[in-house]
Amino acid sequence: MIFASQPWSKAGALWGGISIAGVGLTHVLRVLARRHGWLAMPPDALLGRMFAGVLVIATLAWWLTLELAQVVYDARIPPLSGVLYDKLSPGGQLRNVFIFQVLVHGCWVAIYLAVTMQRQRWRTQVSLQQAELRLLKSQLNPHFLFNALNGVRSLIADEPDRARDAVTHLAKTLRYTLAVGDEDLVSLERELEMVEDYLALESLRLAERLRVERDIAAAARTVRLPAMLLQTLVENAIKHGIAELKEGGTLRVGARIDGDFLVLQVTNPRPPGAPGSNPEGVGLRNATERLRLLFGDRGTLRLDASNAACVVAEVRVPA
Amino acid sequence: MKALVVDDEPLARRELRRLLAAFPSVEVIGEAGNIDDAKARIEQLAPDVVFLDIQMPGGTGFDLLTRLDRLPRIVFTTAYDQYAVKAFEVNALDYLLKPVEPERLAAALHKIQAAVTHGSPAADAPLEQLFIKDGPRCWFVPLREVGVFTSEGNYVRLLWGRERPLLGRSLAALETKLDPRRFFRANRGQIVNLDFIQGVEAGEGGRLHVQLRDGLEIEVSRRQARLFKARSTVD
Repeated sequence: MIFASQPWSKAGALWGGISIAGVGLTHVLRVLARRHGWLAMPPDALLGRMFAGVLVIATLAWWLTLELAQVVYDARIPPLSGVLYDKLSPGGQLRNVFIFQVLVHGCWVAIYLAVTMQRQRWRTQVSLQQAELRLLKSQLNPHFLFNALNGVRSLIADEPDRARDAVTHLAKTLRYTLAVGDEDLVSLERELEMVEDYLALESLRLAERLRVERDIAAAARTVRLPAMLLQTLVENAIKHGIAELKEGGTLRVGARIDGDFLVLQVTNPRPPGAPGSNPEGVGLRNATERLRLLFGDRGTLRLDASNAACVVAEVRVPA
Repeated sequence: MKALVVDDEPLARRELRRLLAAFPSVEVIGEAGNIDDAKARIEQLAPDVVFLDIQMPGGTGFDLLTRLDRLPRIVFTTAYDQYAVKAFEVNALDYLLKPVEPERLAAALHKIQAAVTHGSPAADAPLEQLFIKDGPRCWFVPLREVGVFTSEGNYVRLLWGRERPLLGRSLAALETKLDPRRFFRANRGQIVNLDFIQGVEAGEGGRLHVQLRDGLEIEVSRRQARLFKARSTVD
């Protein structure tokens, strides 16, 4: 309609020229914004600069439109028709061409900004989440480490064979915690192997006070779960359960598949006067948060202290 | 020097015994694996020094100290709780990190030796200091620095410098262990340190008003006032 009664070749030359100019000019604005770090500026400063940029671009594009019209149609104003131009004075038509340029380039820049910002936000969120996961990843408790070393030292003179075994367990435990530093998920099989080394060292410390029962379903062994998760549960059960009891007690480690979930259960006898439910330790809180980041609602950690005799920590993760 | 080793880990006790064997002046007279056993052994064997682990079943090493009347010299042994021990700013305690360095152990023993040769008080001597754990804070409180003991139910609040620690014993139980030459039962709820008294005024009905060093005033009940006057004239 706008080009009614105009030959296509001329309209093409005019609008093609304007479009190329528009793309070029906005590209210059983008390069400027990047080079001078406008995108990192506070919103007001960024919007001010972008608005000024749009005005400059629109003015240049407007001038170009008029110049091109001169060349193509030998007229100051491109012979357009339509509701915006028909019956307008030449001045009004000039003004509308300018408004048109501002709107087109303004929209273009706004879309560019929105997409760039969204992309940036998304990237920040992902890296934040990764940082959070890294922070939450449980590490070996230094208390455990130094006690184990002290135990080894004690064994060296009297029981060198046990001392050698202990060093091997310690080396494997340390290697595991260092190796899984970059991994989020490991197979239960691999985690269990580490937990056995860990338990061997805790047995050194607690001697006959620590007794362990295991009930691991074969199908559960291949399921992948957050590294150090089972270790955290076991450590917690020993620290707040077995080690608090003069006579010690039995630690139960269970793993089974329940529908689409892997269910881990670590049970320890409950010392008298031990706090009730809600995961109180930093270790369990971090583990809960880690499960949430990795699995959303599908990963849960629950501490059941409703039984007076024992405390059960239960983890469910998608199998 | 008689030493007791308290640690819930048999291997840790064995290691410390072995380290101590290198010092002829030290005789290890026993060991304990939890704080109940440790309390019994300390009361029964009266060691000069106790090597005390912090994390143990049934209560921490700090909990043990709060339950003792006669405090032996304490050296904490810990794998990683040195921060907890360092929290004692006022009355610094010695601590050893496990695994224990023989040189550090020698230095700690040297310090204790000096103190022990001053002689330990007799078993029935009055209390001189108490270990108090009030919430997360702990103190060794020399009793001669306490101005007033005030009963709060089954507990006793101490007026000690700027601190007001709460002691987990009753005033009646505490009174029997205090030095009667220094401490005086002023009324049903308060025991006062005589060294803190600056002035005495007669009150109504035979009562006395006692002014203390810190501007505090305490009332001596009629019954106790008679005792107080009798004492003062004798002294």
